Amino acid sequence: MNPVRVAIAVARKDLKSEWRTRELVPALAQFVVLALLIGNFGFQVDTHNASAIAPGILWLALVFAGLVAFGRTFAAEREQASLEAMLMTPASPVAIFAGKAIAATVLLVLCEVVLLPALTLFFGTPLSGDVVAAVLLATVGMAALGVLFAAIVARVRARELLLPLLTLPLWIPFIVAGGQAVQSAMGLPGSYQEAMGLLLDFDILFVVLTSLAARFVLDE
Amino acid sequence: MSFVVANGLTHWFGRDLVLEGVDLVVDTGEHMAVLGDNGAGKTTLLRVLATALRPTAGRLQIAGLDAFREKRRLRHHVGYLAHAPGLYPALSAVENLEFFCDLQEVSRTRVEEALDIVAMTSVARRRADQLSRGMQQRLAIARAILHEPRLLVLDEPDASLGEDAAELLTRVMQGKTVIMATHDRALANRLCQRTLELRHGRSHGTATRLHVVT
Repeated sequence: MNPVRVAIAVARKDLKSEWRTRELVPALAQFVVLALLIGNFGFQVDTHNASAIAPGILWLALVFAGLVAFGRTFAAEREQASLEAMLMTPASPVAIFAGKAIAATVLLVLCEVVLLPALTLFFGTPLSGDVVAAVLLATVGMAALGVLFAAIVARVRARELLLPLLTLPLWIPFIVAGGQAVQSAMGLPGSYQEAMGLLLDFDILFVVLTSLAARFVLDE
Repeated sequence: MSFVVANGLTHWFGRDLVLEGVDLVVDTGEHMAVLGDNGAGKTTLLRVLATALRPTAGRLQIAGLDAFREKRRLRHHVGYLAHAPGLYPALSAVENLEFFCDLQEVSRTRVEEALDIVAMTSVARRRADQLSRGMQQRLAIARAILHEPRLLVLDEPDASLGEDAAELLTRVMQGKTVIMATHDRALANRLCQRTLELRHGRSHGTATRLHVVT
């Protein structure tokens, strides 16, 4: 059984379902724009403080959009009772998990396509390749963790409450390192390279750990 | 030759004992019906036999292999129809099956064959959420036989199927070892050589021979 083929099949299936129903991405895109709008009105934003405030608003919007996006990955499977059918195949649970994580990452990246230009629009901060790279790098590790916890909480009734409680503490390293990377990319003091190195380390650590844990979470 | 051998299958959900020491033996090519009222433990027993659920106690061998140690290997040989169809509503019937072809590592040419067996070729391109409940059940059955399993575990396969349920299930079950749960004794009598009666999670007597289907 080729795990890459399985992961691609699972990701393609999730993305095709989202494309047909358009349940998640349009709602999330609206959510991130509204979050930026509230941030814009909530703070006295001017040319001097925009680059200090914008990264915080960016990560807040991203974290809450991520919770919704990742929360749906396994909740929908449970509601449709389709997860058991998928797990009854000889396909590796790790490959299934990877496919779900890839699809969730793509969906969040689509929201970031709206989020990052909107941030520039509302806060006047530069939209540079460095900012994009930092956000994308953080998204990978956040998706791995978010999808794993989404799989764990999918079988409980209070999953909407439990998912943030479990996920947010473990996302803090991404928010700290990602925040630092975005701030320095926007011209504030701090080492961009160091923050990106940290993000990469966290990505590797959490992708490996969640892949190992996925087998036990999904197996029964 | 025995294809499925279960000894003392027992399962607790929290404090509820849902299966209590169920023993059964199913020979290769034999069809067995599991009968019982709602809550008798039929679905739990079938989930255990399909290796979807590990029992609290007891042993299960399928094709001579320990069903839980060799679970993943056995899944090439086990087809399971769950109580709920478990389809992807936004995907068409063909797309649902093609997805499972990729997961089962079988050729996509099997999709057409499986749809033909369940008489669904005319609605193959229709989305699963636009199919009637009976058609969804047929699609779920097609998914269960997609990889040509040697053992079929069917949980109320006749649900919503309509008048031709017996004919369709005869086609589906042909040449396979089958364990199916149903409320319909007449259907069980027609399709299966033996029955197992479950009451409150316990099997009442060993499986009873009804008649031999030739």
